[in-house]
Amino acid sequence: MDTLLVGILAAPGITFLALSLVWLLGWTPPEKVVTRLTQIVCSGMALACAYLAWLMYESGTTSFSVSGGSWFHAGEYHFALTLLADWLSLPMIALTIILVGIVAPFSARYLHRDRGFFRFFLLLHLFAFGALLAFASSSYDLLLGGWELVGITSVLLIAFFDERREPVRNSIRVFAAYRMADLSLMLAIFFIHYSPQSYTTIGLLLLLAAAGKSAQFPFSGWLPRAMEGPTPSSAIFYGAISVHLGAYLLLRSGSILDHAPWVSVAIFAIGAQTALMANLIHRVSPDAKTSLAYAAMAQLGIIFVEISLGYPKLALLHIIGHAIVRTLQFLRAPSMLHDYHRVHAAAGGQLAKTGAIYERLLPQRLQVWLYRAGLERGYYDALLERFVVGPVLRLAQWVEGFEPDGVPRLEEPKKAAITSGNQLVEY
Amino acid sequence: MFQLDSFSIFSIAAYLLIALITLLCAPRKDLDSFRLKSFMIIVGGTLLAYASGSIWLFLLGWAITVVPFRGERSGVMLIASTVALAVGAGLNTFSSDKTVHVAAFAAIAIAVLLRKGIFPFHFWVPIAFEDSSLPALNLFLNSHLGAFLLIRFGVPLFPDVSLQALTFLGTLAILTAVYTAVLALVAKRPRRVLALLCISQASFILAGLENRNVEGITGALVHWSVVAFATTALLAVYRSLEARTTEVEAPEGFLGLGYHAPRLAVFFAVAALALVGLPGTLGFAAEDLLFHGSLESHPLLGVGLPFATALNAITALKLAATLFLGRRGIHVPKIPDAQARERWALTLPIVLLVAGGLAPSMLIALRTPSAEWIAELLAGR
Repeated sequence: MDTLLVGILAAPGITFLALSLVWLLGWTPPEKVVTRLTQIVCSGMALACAYLAWLMYESGTTSFSVSGGSWFHAGEYHFALTLLADWLSLPMIALTIILVGIVAPFSARYLHRDRGFFRFFLLLHLFAFGALLAFASSSYDLLLGGWELVGITSVLLIAFFDERREPVRNSIRVFAAYRMADLSLMLAIFFIHYSPQSYTTIGLLLLLAAAGKSAQFPFSGWLPRAMEGPTPSSAIFYGAISVHLGAYLLLRSGSILDHAPWVSVAIFAIGAQTALMANLIHRVSPDAKTSLAYAAMAQLGIIFVEISLGYPKLALLHIIGHAIVRTLQFLRAPSMLHDYHRVHAAAGGQLAKTGAIYERLLPQRLQVWLYRAGLERGYYDALLERFVVGPVLRLAQWVEGFEPDGVPRLEEPKKAAITSGNQLVEY
Repeated sequence: MFQLDSFSIFSIAAYLLIALITLLCAPRKDLDSFRLKSFMIIVGGTLLAYASGSIWLFLLGWAITVVPFRGERSGVMLIASTVALAVGAGLNTFSSDKTVHVAAFAAIAIAVLLRKGIFPFHFWVPIAFEDSSLPALNLFLNSHLGAFLLIRFGVPLFPDVSLQALTFLGTLAILTAVYTAVLALVAKRPRRVLALLCISQASFILAGLENRNVEGITGALVHWSVVAFATTALLAVYRSLEARTTEVEAPEGFLGLGYHAPRLAVFFAVAALALVGLPGTLGFAAEDLLFHGSLESHPLLGVGLPFATALNAITALKLAATLFLGRRGIHVPKIPDAQARERWALTLPIVLLVAGGLAPSMLIALRTPSAEWIAELLAGR
């Protein structure tokens, strides 16, 4: 069982390294090779995962850990390489393998002859490795490694269409949100080691990290920006695996949250608020992918509520069901009009209107206000811009004002060729 | 007169590797006889300083490395650092009075702060980045002679004073890391951004030494290697872009240079992310050790390090995106991708950073004896 778990984790990592190395050495493997290799790796991982689950079922094992010794050590500190398969991690590992296995062949057709075909598959393998590492890790330190790898691959895939400015700009914005989540997780780890009894502080930092990764209030603004990436990556990242990492972190931290009742109240408040607002925004979003992103955000809010109320197994079932359905919806998004026309034709050209039933019960003015809040995407970005990003940038500009432009020279340079642009001196 | 131990031998070997990479990657116009002389002077001075067993010989090496910068705006600060070190060495040699020893250590501490560009003396580094030849500056900065001076002579010669002063120096280093990381958020010119990134990340070496435990000091020493190799690759790629197009000097939007130079883009991105501790690179292991080492002795570092690296990561990605992404291929100047010479030279630091990240125990084991020796010095044994 130990070898199977390690093999499942290592397969996408080794594939990523091998593909990167051959590319750096000057050979870009053709599409067919990349696709076939990915199919083999995904099939092997799926079979290994199924066999591992069967072995666990047969032996009546509910959880087991694999210790790979210490990755590195210095003084009294050891970085333990310990993997864990239990009721929480194994379903998430299986879900990741299945969804990567579905998204890969879809992407092979979707990105056929695209300039970034090879890059996409390279990042898909790195993402699979990061996600599996995060789910299988038995320590927060190792989880952080997988967590950050998922973040960076996500950002690189948002900037996939790199010839346009907007995807690149949005990828930087998403990265900034991710880094704030990473920072919260690092500080939580710091407190877990330094002051393990500070349950409320640790819980709040873990909540901030989870909210950042799962696009909950106040970090929700990054999710629609992430839709700039290719549809298959939107499906696997923002419909399925990446956005659920935050919820997974909270589920994994159940023992800490049990000691911090106020953190559970905060999780409930954030989850409920996000669910309600995301639902509103989803209804007024004009494009399919943004609408699906907010729908996913609303479901994540409900998952947060379930975790806060103490139903971890329900939350896990919700994560799995939601990930599968949302992946399907994202992958069908490019064919949405085609699907609509087909249903329309099948219904004889007359489709009944749906929605707008409960809204009518509300007063007109409240309807207008909610509509506007939905159009403004809950003012999340505006709030962050005003109270976090703006003050930090203003502070940076203010301190830059104190920076000296230069100091006097002691002697003239040997050969001065000063360009007017940036005072570049070649000597 | 000379002292060769695991600490100095590792520093010499790593520095020679950096010098080799820098020379191989330097554009041809940076290799005229005048600049080659500058390289040789800096490399010679640094190697002399690394191998020196007396503070006077170290001072000679230190002063030699400053010579190529004497005519530049940053030269004033570097000459001031040399004078401060000379004062410290003189006071230490010619007086055994305790008060004079305090003054001698203060002079040496000022030399370290000036040389490493620690707040409030950080401002010369961005100026030097804008004035100087980048390959020469890379060789100068990545010698990290300030940290070397503190470990080799500062602590052993002044054990009592240095132990108290290290807390102050460490706090200043953390302040520098955070301050320059904030400044880098609004910096526009790539050279200035790179300078601020280099100062911020290099400050952790000094901050980590203050940990006084083996894991923290090992983290600082490994981080030293990370900063050296990652910034060497970053500056080499950036300089090669400058040699290809003048657009990079003051970009007014996304340049999209990765369209024609994807390998240079990958080298730059991996080096930048390794510098800020991406998992799978040596930077992750170094920062993890620094992070855990600080738990015992310096909680402020535990908070300051992730905050500064979070900001630096945003800055690094923003710079990589500005240089290599975001413009339609037809509008991008047709620049050549990494030449064979550059490709092989740049592969070396990248492989070291990635292989070191996947199996960091070997490098960490190499640095642990030095860290144990420094920890013993700091424990006053």
